[in-house]
Amino acid sequence: MDIMNPSILVVDDDTALSEMIGIVLQGEGYDTVFCSDGNKALDAFRESRPDLVLLDVMLPGLDGIEICQLLRLESGVPIIMLTAKTDTTDVVRGLEAGADDYVVKPFNPVELVARIRTRLRPASVEVSDEVRVGDLTLDVVGHEVRRGNERINLTPLEFNLLLTLASKPQQVFSREALLERVWGYQYKADTRLVNVHVQRLRAKVEKDPDQPIIVTTVRGIGYRAGAVVD
Amino acid sequence: MRVPLSTDPPPLSGWMNNRPLFRWVGVIYAALKRRWLSSLKLRTMTFTGVITGIAILVSGTYLQFSIGNDLFNTRKQQVLEDSSRASKSAQRLLDASDAADGVSLSSLTKTMRGDVRETSSSQMIALLRVPGQKFSLDAPQNQGSEGLPISVISDDLINKVNAGENSQYWQSVTLQNQDGSSSAGIIVGSQLTFPGSGGKYGLYIAYSLSDAEQTLSYVQRTLLLTGFFLMLLLGMLVWVIVRLVFRPISVAAETSRRLAAGETDVRMPNQGDESFDLLSQSFNEMADSLENRINELAELSTMQQRFVSDVSHELRTPLTTIRLAGDVLYAQRDNLDAAGHRTTELLHTQIGRFERLLTDLLEISRYDAGSVTLETEPTNLVRIVEEAVDGLQSLADAAGISIRVIAKGGYLDAELDPRRVRRIIHNLLGNAIEHGEAQPVIVMIDSHETAIGITVRDFGVGMTEDDTQRVFDRFWRADPSRKRTIGGTGLGLAISLEDASSQGGWLDVWSEPGKGSCFRLTLPRKQDVPIGHSPLVLEPPLDESMEDALRALDRQDEGGAS
Repeated sequence: MDIMNPSILVVDDDTALSEMIGIVLQGEGYDTVFCSDGNKALDAFRESRPDLVLLDVMLPGLDGIEICQLLRLESGVPIIMLTAKTDTTDVVRGLEAGADDYVVKPFNPVELVARIRTRLRPASVEVSDEVRVGDLTLDVVGHEVRRGNERINLTPLEFNLLLTLASKPQQVFSREALLERVWGYQYKADTRLVNVHVQRLRAKVEKDPDQPIIVTTVRGIGYRAGAVVD
Repeated sequence: MRVPLSTDPPPLSGWMNNRPLFRWVGVIYAALKRRWLSSLKLRTMTFTGVITGIAILVSGTYLQFSIGNDLFNTRKQQVLEDSSRASKSAQRLLDASDAADGVSLSSLTKTMRGDVRETSSSQMIALLRVPGQKFSLDAPQNQGSEGLPISVISDDLINKVNAGENSQYWQSVTLQNQDGSSSAGIIVGSQLTFPGSGGKYGLYIAYSLSDAEQTLSYVQRTLLLTGFFLMLLLGMLVWVIVRLVFRPISVAAETSRRLAAGETDVRMPNQGDESFDLLSQSFNEMADSLENRINELAELSTMQQRFVSDVSHELRTPLTTIRLAGDVLYAQRDNLDAAGHRTTELLHTQIGRFERLLTDLLEISRYDAGSVTLETEPTNLVRIVEEAVDGLQSLADAAGISIRVIAKGGYLDAELDPRRVRRIIHNLLGNAIEHGEAQPVIVMIDSHETAIGITVRDFGVGMTEDDTQRVFDRFWRADPSRKRTIGGTGLGLAISLEDASSQGGWLDVWSEPGKGSCFRLTLPRKQDVPIGHSPLVLEPPLDESMEDALRALDRQDEGGAS
């Protein structure tokens, strides 16, 4: 009995590209499900329960950003956007809608697979079972965050980001360092990824996102976790 | 060719330049002249002021003159009547007297003087015997009175009185008052005949005109004051009128200025005057059509942007498929025969080239469409350069080129768009490696308070002057026959130039055949602070060889280390 292959939902209206992506991913040992219509993407997701979604931005019916928002309402599944545009607005809109990462067309197979692998790999932070930050408790094994008895829903990426910061509360992480640890970028990448996801994380975990105490900004350097509050 | 913003003051004559005072006068004169020539308002107000001033002056003078004249004549008439009455009364008194000896004549004279004083209401009386009569001891002495010494009476008047018999004569004089002041006066003279041996005498009565003088000076003061207020009032009137007349022009000027400054929605209000309303109307029509045109262009630009964006998407999707397919094939190239192997290699490299070309084309069309938005953040130039050098190290090694980075400054963050700066530096380094002919490449970074700069110097073949002028042109290549190692798209420097100027910076080049090239990028520290001058020198010293340059760098390194 082999271990089940991770499955990936590819939402793209260009069948040639979908097929080609399928060939590449299958070659890497992933199962693939395809959907070429924005309106059917949610159904396809519910039906196939993939481990990761590759989402084109420009789609007939619902566009990628709308699908992303809807998906985030019901799941924290890793989402990687496929975008043809490097324009700020598109990328930022996608990230703000909840996409974990993005790949700019034309991408090469190595790049795509590297991005998928990082998102599917469990957090590599070696820490105890329970980590505390501010008034929050992170259950590392159960991938849960609690404030007192209240459970806070985070996507795996957001959990990973918070855990990375919280595991070394005395350390200030630069955006580049976070890109490397959380997103797996070895080279200089888009720091907007960090900015947008820190904002999203704060919106969920901070009591007052304008006065953050869990994830604090160190001006000109980066971010650090807030002190533990009893 | 520079167009001077303002005309220089006209050259001053030589002697004026000698002393500072004259120079100042000259400067002020020139400034006034400029103001005079440039301001219709000033000219109008000056002309109106001068003309009304002259009018007030002339009419005031005339008024004063005629009032004075009239006052004098009236007074004179009165004086003549008074003195005539006095003289007649005195003569009657004399005629009625039978005085013959000196004592009685003397007393008669006294009585007569009293009478004259009463009837003429003047204290200033003089009595002069007409000369040429028989001498008499009894005849009364010539006598003046206080306020009317005999010396005041002119010979001319005395002669006339002596000659004439019955009529009166008069003369204008200046009288000394008791308090030492002087006032104008009239002396009226007439003949009296004394009884006995007295003979003929001239009776002189002086009247002071100080009353009339006072009245006249009062009139003068009033006139002066009235004139002054009239001038003031007129000045204000002219000012108000000029403002009223010039207001529509000022409004028009202000509106045009705002329109020129980019406020396309400004319009000129109606001014309540036919000609100006016509002006307003035409102006507003012009502004309307201008605004429409701008909107049309903006719409076109938006369409162009959307087109670029659509093309981008449409081309990129199939290219992605091709890229993936090519890479899958490329990964399996070792399983293919020689021809297939080479084919997949070619496919692989050309897809890469196609991709770069597409990226560059889209970038430049984004600049053309004006749809470029800067994303500035505090950026460390030295770090960017070091990263770029690291990234190109393998390429440089392959070309046998060592890259020396000398950062004298640039360690402090500047407000820049790091993506664009990175792209420029990557481009310049790439070019230097490609054309560097296996000689070292020197990268210098420096900064001052307003700007940061970087030069990339190679010691390769260099370019002719014609080439350097075209080096930023699109798809231009210095030497078409030269082999390409990096496989640039021909758009690199054109994009770099746009990248630099979009951030308010400069990109310039020096090059000489056989000596190599030097590209200099200068960027402002803050987006809204102008650069001034570049912190780095573009042209290397004349006749400096590569060895000299490197030795100089080594010396600097040692100096910096110690």
